[in-house]
Amino acid sequence: MIRINQIKKSYGTHENRALILKGISAEIADGDFVVILGASGSGKSTLLNVISGLEQPDSGSVTYDGTDITAFNDRELTAFRRENVGFIFQQYYLLPNLTVEKNVRMGADLAGNSDYRSVLKAVGLENKLKKYPGELSGGEQQRVAVARALAKRPRVLFLDEPTGALDEATGRQVLDYISCLQEEYRFTVVMVTHNLNIAEMANTVIKMNSGMILEIYTNETRKNAREIGW
Amino acid sequence: MVVGIKDAAKLIGISVISLCAVLVCTMFLNFYIDILEIEPLIASEAAMLFYDAQVSTAKIVCAVSGGCLLVTSVIMLLFYIRHYIDTHKKELGILKALGYSNLKIAGNFRVFGVSVLIGSAAGFSASFLLMPTFYDLQNKDRILPEISIRFHPSLFFCLVLLPTAAFACLSVCYAACRLKAPVLQLIKDSPQTPAKTKKQKNEPDCPFLAGLKKSTLRTKKTLVFFIAFASFCFSAMTQMSASMDTLSSRMMALMTLIIGLVLAFTTLFLAITAVVRGNTKTIAMMRVFGYSQKECCRALLGGYRPASYIGFALGTAYQYALLRIAVDLVFRDIGDIPAYEFDVPNMLASLAAFLFFYELMMYLGAERIKKISVKEIMLE
Ligand SMILES: Nc1ncnc2c1ncn2[C@@H]1O[C@H](COP(=O)(O)OP(=O)(O)OP(=O)(O)O)[C@@H](O)[C@H]1O
Ligand SMILES: [Mg+2]
Repeated sequence: MIRINQIKKSYGTHENRALILKGISAEIADGDFVVILGASGSGKSTLLNVISGLEQPDSGSVTYDGTDITAFNDRELTAFRRENVGFIFQQYYLLPNLTVEKNVRMGADLAGNSDYRSVLKAVGLENKLKKYPGELSGGEQQRVAVARALAKRPRVLFLDEPTGALDEATGRQVLDYISCLQEEYRFTVVMVTHNLNIAEMANTVIKMNSGMILEIYTNETRKNAREIGW
Repeated sequence: MVVGIKDAAKLIGISVISLCAVLVCTMFLNFYIDILEIEPLIASEAAMLFYDAQVSTAKIVCAVSGGCLLVTSVIMLLFYIRHYIDTHKKELGILKALGYSNLKIAGNFRVFGVSVLIGSAAGFSASFLLMPTFYDLQNKDRILPEISIRFHPSLFFCLVLLPTAAFACLSVCYAACRLKAPVLQLIKDSPQTPAKTKKQKNEPDCPFLAGLKKSTLRTKKTLVFFIAFASFCFSAMTQMSASMDTLSSRMMALMTLIIGLVLAFTTLFLAITAVVRGNTKTIAMMRVFGYSQKECCRALLGGYRPASYIGFALGTAYQYALLRIAVDLVFRDIGDIPAYEFDVPNMLASLAAFLFFYELMMYLGAERIKKISVKEIMLE
């Protein structure tokens, strides 16, 4: 269970100080599929970074099963990320000088996971092991990023606009992989998007507007990636 | 403007190296030319022998230090430009896509000549400051007639103006050559070396950190060279300086020591900075995934240690060979040949100092890695 309590976060100094998150509270149950929805600039990425321990809030707390990660120092945060979370970003951020296999091992080695090839197989890349990221299409690169994050066997997977740089069909495919793998491995998913249709894939939707939560609702039935419009 | 004065300022390493090279070369060449003038004035045979020895020392030192430094500064400049293009590939690609011609973009790189000009001009002036003492020392027993210091415009041209022009030209040509790559290749994150050789495909499977260590070494071979070179300089110059103290003069010893330390420091510093800068994204991503500070440093900086030890060993051998030859050849005809043997305690002292120096620099590199925040990854 992740409990987010009264998170405030601002950027800048003195005169041009802007409050980006204005006191956000929410709860995320284990194994949930959560989508954070909102317009550009509403603070979605900032919230995601705070929840995932990439950034410290000005005030408020984020607790994982009762442990407050906002009290952690940099080393403890790193250790926390190592144990618990996986990330997928809009820009895949693969390491360009390493092969697909090595990129996936970046995640797998942290969890002592020697069965990383099965994850690569699950995203349909088993025959591209020795390719370099520059030799892959955007969708393939994002699938490598998915495999890299999942090979780490995270408890929580954070995604920031994972399909933002992909066309509709490829994006759908990537989302499909993620939701199938979630069924299989039962991790928690927190995904940022501004696409209303993608939100239909979620159990829980957190709607944001200019740094505040507009509403939190649960979908009665989750749609899969093929059923959603785009 | 693709390349500004600010980038030239970052080329401080080039300036330092050209300064050292020009300083030593000017001093000895100037001395060499000036000493030739007094040849007709020499009366005794003993003086003639001493004169010959002086002339050949000047020749050897010039050729060795000047040549060695020149080669390094050329490679260093080429390396920097390559590094610059690699890190700014996207911008260059976009400019090219917009329709700027290769030559127009590459032309901006002539600004790199400025750093050579700064370094060589400073070295040239500095050598004239040191010259009175130097001339005095070379002839301290007054065996030869008074040698007067003269300014030779041709030297100024060859050691200051010519290198500046040559390096500016070299930069532009090299940049133009690199810019020949298709626009897409410049814009996309392609691996720096396609690395498709059979050998690599059959490589045994290794963990991520080991793979990263190998790929950092493989993709930036110039950096391996620089780190080995820094160790080479440190080893050769510190040991040579200790021997100079007995063989030649305290001033020569001090000069060798300072030049050696300055070169080793700048080269190593620049190489480490380049390693850290070139891998910022990788480090940030590793931190995001939860790799510790120590693991990042070990994977990115640890691989260079063997190269530095090899550099040190080569430097030791080089300085021994050089001094051996110098002592045997140059002093052969003069009456009192100073005894010269390989100095083990001296080598051990130099090794200890080197280990301390190297680990200190690596520590500084690790501190720079520490400063990279995980948010770095999101700043595109
Ligand atoms: N490092 C920063 N320094 C200053 N301001 C920042 C920083 N990061 C984000 N902001 C500001 O915070 C606000 C929210 O940014 P955030 O990235 O969270 O938005 P977002 O909802 O993810 O938008 P998008 O959908 O475009 O990604 C923006 O107005 C942005 O300008
Ligand atoms: Mg965002």
